[in-house]
Amino acid sequence: MSRPVRLTVNGAPASFDVEDRTTLLDALRDELGLTGTHAGCEQGACGACSVLLDGEIVRSCLLLAVQAGGRTVTTIEAVGSPGRLHPVQEALRRHHGLQCGYCTPGVVLTAIDLLERVADPDEEEVREALAGNLCRCTGYAGLVDAVLAAARDAGPGR
Amino acid sequence: MPRTEDARLLTGLGRYLADHDVAGLHHVAFARSTLAHADIAGIDVAAAATLDGVVAVVTAADLRAAGARPLSHRLAPPYQPLSWELLAVDRVRHVGEPVVAVVAASRAVAEDAVELLDIDYRELPPVVGPAAAMAPGAPLLYPEWGTNEFVHLEGSTAGVEEALAAAPHRLQESFESHRVIGLPLEAHGAQGSWDPARGQLTLISSAQQPHQLRSVVAEACGLREAAVRVISPDMGGGFGNKQHFTREECLVGMLAIMTGRPLRWSADRTEALTASVHSRPQVHHVDAGFDDRGRVVALRVAVTSDLGHPVLYFSGIGPSLVTVGALSGGYAFPEVGWSLSAVATTTCPVGAYRGFGQPQAHLSTERVLDRIAQRLGVDPLDVRRANLLPAEPRPWRTYSGGLVDCGDLHAMVDTLVAEFGYHEWRHRQAEARSAGRHLGVGLSTLVQGTAPNQHDTAARFGSLETAMVTVLPDATVTVAVGTKSQGQGHETVFAQIAADALGVGPEAVTVADGDTGRLPYGQGTWGSRSTVMGGGAVVTACRRLRARMAAIAAHLGLTLPEEGPVDADVLAAVAATAWWVQHRLPPGVEPGLSTTVTYTPGRTNPSADGLQNHDETYSSHMTAVAVEVDPATGSVTVLDALCVSDCGVVVNPTLVEGQHQGAFAQGLGNVLWEEVRYSPDGQPLCATLLDYTIPSSLDVPRLRVVHQPTPSATAGGFRGVGEAGLIALPAAMVGAVEDALSPLGVRLNSTRLHPPAIRAAVRATGWRPDPAAWAAAGLEDRRR
Ligand code: FES
Ligand code: FES
Repeated sequence: MSRPVRLTVNGAPASFDVEDRTTLLDALRDELGLTGTHAGCEQGACGACSVLLDGEIVRSCLLLAVQAGGRTVTTIEAVGSPGRLHPVQEALRRHHGLQCGYCTPGVVLTAIDLLERVADPDEEEVREALAGNLCRCTGYAGLVDAVLAAARDAGPGR
Repeated sequence: MPRTEDARLLTGLGRYLADHDVAGLHHVAFARSTLAHADIAGIDVAAAATLDGVVAVVTAADLRAAGARPLSHRLAPPYQPLSWELLAVDRVRHVGEPVVAVVAASRAVAEDAVELLDIDYRELPPVVGPAAAMAPGAPLLYPEWGTNEFVHLEGSTAGVEEALAAAPHRLQESFESHRVIGLPLEAHGAQGSWDPARGQLTLISSAQQPHQLRSVVAEACGLREAAVRVISPDMGGGFGNKQHFTREECLVGMLAIMTGRPLRWSADRTEALTASVHSRPQVHHVDAGFDDRGRVVALRVAVTSDLGHPVLYFSGIGPSLVTVGALSGGYAFPEVGWSLSAVATTTCPVGAYRGFGQPQAHLSTERVLDRIAQRLGVDPLDVRRANLLPAEPRPWRTYSGGLVDCGDLHAMVDTLVAEFGYHEWRHRQAEARSAGRHLGVGLSTLVQGTAPNQHDTAARFGSLETAMVTVLPDATVTVAVGTKSQGQGHETVFAQIAADALGVGPEAVTVADGDTGRLPYGQGTWGSRSTVMGGGAVVTACRRLRARMAAIAAHLGLTLPEEGPVDADVLAAVAATAWWVQHRLPPGVEPGLSTTVTYTPGRTNPSADGLQNHDETYSSHMTAVAVEVDPATGSVTVLDALCVSDCGVVVNPTLVEGQHQGAFAQGLGNVLWEEVRYSPDGQPLCATLLDYTIPSSLDVPRLRVVHQPTPSATAGGFRGVGEAGLIALPAAMVGAVEDALSPLGVRLNSTRLHPPAIRAAVRATGWRPDPAAWAAAGLEDRRR
C-alpha cells in the first residue's frame, strides 16, 4: 500500500508515493534520484546516509519516508557543486579528507552542522562531532584537519 | 596536488554501483543458508514465484538448465579437487551460502519473496575452527577428500634441522592472527544487462579486477570473453574484499540473460559481514634458533590456516601461500623451513584483505625478535639491527626465491629511532613505570613484496599491466589503465605520472580505468601493484610517445627536449601534424600520437629449484608505536605512532600519507576492536556494524609519516604503498602492548588486543587490580 508524501527537498517542493516501510534513504535515492546520499549499513551505525531534516542532522536509513512528510530535507546535492565547492568541501579536498568518497556526503553535512553550532571547534570537538560518521579509508586525519581548517578559514562571525 | 576525483565525490555526484538506474531495472535478492552445514532436502518456490512483482525464482537446477557452468579453483594436486555451482546444490557449507535467487521489480519485493521460500534443510554437524576440522572423526565438508585438509605443503632450506639443533638458544611458541574483514563502506554488488540482438552482456560491478572478472563471468555464463563487458564504476573501497570473482557477480550475469531484464544485486551490510570474504585466521607454531647476539640462525614455522568454505574463484589459499613465502621479511635469516596445513571449515570463505597473508607472517617474525630480546635482556631494536638485511647484496635472494631489491634498511632504522624519539620514549617509559603506569613501545621493521605475480598459485593473475596513452589533436591527453581505483586516487596519480613524462600539465590529462571496453586486458588493483605496474605502463607508453613527438618536432624544425616541460606551441604543432598532416611526418614514424603498452618488469625469474620471485619489487616500512595500557580495564591508548616509508619514487606525498593513515586506522581497528566471531554451531555473531565495530574518529590518533624513498628499478622507480602500513601495524601493536604489561609478566601471542583479551592475559599472571589505586591514578586520555 503506497501513500503520497509531500515535502521540501533542497529548497524545492517534492512528492512521491511510497509504501509505509520505505525509508527516507530509499525514497531520496529511488524516488527523487538523489544518489549522493549513500547506504553504508542501513542499520543506523555508519552515518553515510546523513541528511539534514529541518536543519538537524539525521540518519535517513532510520527514518521512514512518511515521517518526512511536510518537513524540509537537505541532501548533499544542495551543498556546493564541482565548480563551486562549499568551504567545507574545499577544505576536505585540500586536506585529503576523502579517499573513496562513500562516507563523504555524510561527513560534509555533519561538519556543516557542527560549524553551524560551534563557531570555533577544537580537535576534540571535531572528533566528537564526526564520531558517528564511519570512514574505512582515511584514518580520519585529513578529515579532522579539513574541518578545523574550514572553521579557521571561515573565521568568527561567518 | 589535490585530487581530480574529489570534486564529484564531494558533491554527491560520484557514481557508485547503486547509482546506475536504468529503465526497467529489476532487483536480485538471495536466499542464503541459515545453517552452517546441512543437506537441502527440498526447495518449495511456489509462494515466492507467485508474489506480485516477482519475475523469476531460480535454483541451481534452473541455472544448469540455462547453461550456467560451475566454477572451480583451477589448482592441480596436491590441492583437493573442488568445483561449485553458482547456487548451492544439495548441500550448504556455510551460513550465507546462496541457495536461491529471486528477481523482482523492487528490492523490497525480492526480499519479501525470499521470505516466502520454503527450503527444507537436514542439519549436519558444523565444523568451526581448524582444530575441530582436523580432529579424528570430524564431520567432512567434502567426504570425497577423506579429510578437511584442503592442502598440506612444506618447504625448507637445506640446513634448518641442523641449524636448529646446533643453535645456542631455542624458542618455541604459537602466534595467532584472528579473523577480521576488510569491510569497504560500500558493500559489493553488480548490475547486469543483456542485449540479445548483439549477444552482449554488460556487467557493472564494484570489482577490483574488471578484466579477470570478465574472464570468469564469461566462463560461468558460457559466453566468449568478447561477449562480456565489465565496467567498474566509482567504488566505495575494496581492500581485497571485492577482489574475488564472486558467485553473485556471475549470477547477476546469468539472471540478466535468463530474464532479459536489467537487474542489480547490491549487498546489504549483513550479507557483506557474513557472506562475502573474511580474512587472516592463522595459527603459527614457531621454532626459532638464535645466537648470543640475537641473530636468528634458523626459523621453522608450521602454519595452520582456516580457509572457511573454500569456494572462492581464485582460491582462498592465496594469502596462506604468501604467508609461508614471507617469513623472513627484511631479515637475513640463513635457514627457514615451513609447513602449511590449510583447512576447510563451515564458515564464510576466507580470502583477500589488504596485506594478503603478509600480516600473519610478519607477526611471527616480529614476535620472535621481541622474544629473543626478552630472553637475552637486550633492546628489541638491537635484535632487529642484528638481523636486518645488510646493505649488500641486492637483490637479496630469500629462502622462498624472493629477489629483495629494497633500500638501506639500517639507514631507515636510524631515521625511525631519531624521528620517533625512540630513546626518549624508553626514558618516558621508565619514568611511567616508576609511577606505576604501563607504557610500552612496539617496533615493526617491515619489508614487503609488492606488485605480485602469481601465475602458478592463483588462476587469472599475470604480472602485467596495460596502458593506452593518447595525445589528442588539441594536445590534451587521455590515459586508460587496467588497474582500478577503489578510492586511492588513481585518476590523479596516473595523470601526474603521464604529465611528468610527457612534459604537460596534469590538468591536461584525463584518466580512465575499470572498463574492459577500453583496453584489451589488465590486472586490476590489489597487492600494492597499481603505481608500480599501472604507473610503469603509463611511463613506458609516455616515453614512447615522447620519442615520437621529439622526432616529429625535429622534422618540423622545432625543439622538443627529452625531459622536462614541453612548449605548448610546439606540442600543438606536433599533435596537429601527427594526426592531420601525415606527409609532413619524418619517414618511418608512425602517424598519430597514441600507443598501447603492456608492461611487465619481468622479475618473476623462476629457478631450477622450483622457486620464483613472487613480487616485482619490495617496499620497506618501519613503524614504532607507544601505548599506555590500563591493566584493570584492558584498554589501550596509542600515545604516539610513526612510520618511515620507502615506497620508491613518491608521485604524490599527500596520497601516500593518506594510504598510510588509512592503513594505520585499519590496523588499529583490526587488533583493538574488530573480530569476526562464530558461535560453536557455526552461526555468525557479527551481522551489523554494532557487532563488528570499526574505529571512529575518536579512536584513531594521527600517524606521523616520514618518507625515505629509494627508487626501484621498475619503469618509473615505484615500489607500491597500499598495504605496508597494515602489514606492519598488528605486530607493532602486539609488541607495544606486551611491552607495556611486561612488568606484570604478561605474554601476548595473538593479535586480539581487545580489552577482554588483555584483561584475561593480565589476570592469567595472577595480577589483580586494586580499585582504589586505580581511581587514585586518575588515568586520563593521553591520546594525541
Ligand atoms: S546507512 Fe544509515 S547509518 Fe549507515
Ligand atoms: S573515504 Fe572511503 S569510507 Fe571514507
